[in-house]
Amino acid sequence: MENFKKVRTEDSDTEAESPGPFADLAPGAVEMKVKEGSKIRNLLGFAAARMEQPATRTIVFSGCGRAVTKTVTCVEILKRRLAGLHQVTRLRYRSLREVWESRPPPPGCPGPSLSVHKNVPAVSILLSKDALDPGQPGYQPPEPRPDGGGSQGRWCRSGSCEGRT
Amino acid sequence: MRVVTRASGAWRSFHSWCGCSSVGASFLELLLAREERAGPGTRGGRRSLPKADMAENGETWGASEAELDPVEYTLRKRLPHRLPRRPNDIYVNMKTDFKAQLARCQKLLEGGGGGRGQGGCPEIYIHGLGLAINRAINIALQLQASSFGALQVAANTSTVELVDELEPETNTREPLTRTRNNSAIHIRVFRVTPK
Repeated sequence: MENFKKVRTEDSDTEAESPGPFADLAPGAVEMKVKEGSKIRNLLGFAAARMEQPATRTIVFSGCGRAVTKTVTCVEILKRRLAGLHQVTRLRYRSLREVWESRPPPPGCPGPSLSVHKNVPAVSILLSKDALDPGQPGYQPPEPRPDGGGSQGRWCRSGSCEGRT
Repeated sequence: MRVVTRASGAWRSFHSWCGCSSVGASFLELLLAREERAGPGTRGGRRSLPKADMAENGETWGASEAELDPVEYTLRKRLPHRLPRRPNDIYVNMKTDFKAQLARCQKLLEGGGGGRGQGGCPEIYIHGLGLAINRAINIALQLQASSFGALQVAANTSTVELVDELEPETNTREPLTRTRNNSAIHIRVFRVTPK
């Protein structure tokens, strides 16, 4: 593979992508596409500015592959800055098609090209100022701002869980 | 200078990252190993750890000189020993083989339904911290795909506080602590009855 270099990455999942991951919940949401090289401060600067406008009610962060952790991080930081946001998290697979061409391209003919199909996990997180349906899978209510630490075991509801502070 | 990471008090739910899904390695060790490899840039929003922290040759940082590796046993001692709350908790890490963790989840899901035979849908919770978020999502989606629609997934996210302890080599200085945040995901995989 060292003779090939990646020419482009195509998203072959376009038919599922065109309506957007949260078309049913928030058709007019601000969409933030998080890539692997995105800078968190840039993303959050833009997102915070848009969310400060009262007209913007929802925002969606989506990322796939290596950007998933960054997406979750962005969402968590934004939730810290703006309290009272309702969250819905959706997981799915996205199929990508990478096209690799031989390097250096031989003169004349363009050379062989490889097409690689990858199925990468993707996450889409919707944050909304308005209340959402709690019955949605992946729904998470806004945190009631406890002692400022990380969230405690939110699914710790049975008696087997030790007492939380 | 070396860094040890321990869970802060506010992090009680996740200190069992070393629990059932690993073969003895704690997530803190993997966190350290990850930082040595990847550097601070991938952490949750905090880029305060300079690369010098990861160096083993004792580069200076801030006011401290070469600091001793806060020996492993300190790491382990401070791990709160709360095991996974319930048998249907799975903590995903990057050290254990992916297939092994997937097989473990599958066994839990099948065993939970057939073994007990009581009413109610068996469900499992998959937890992932930091780099393991990706793997946790992968496991959950694989479980769903291989179940032919019998399983549903629901994910929640949270932030976990981690505390790094910097112990000075020379014993003249106080140990420093640094807190940073990391993202975590909790995925609930549950069986639904097809309508």
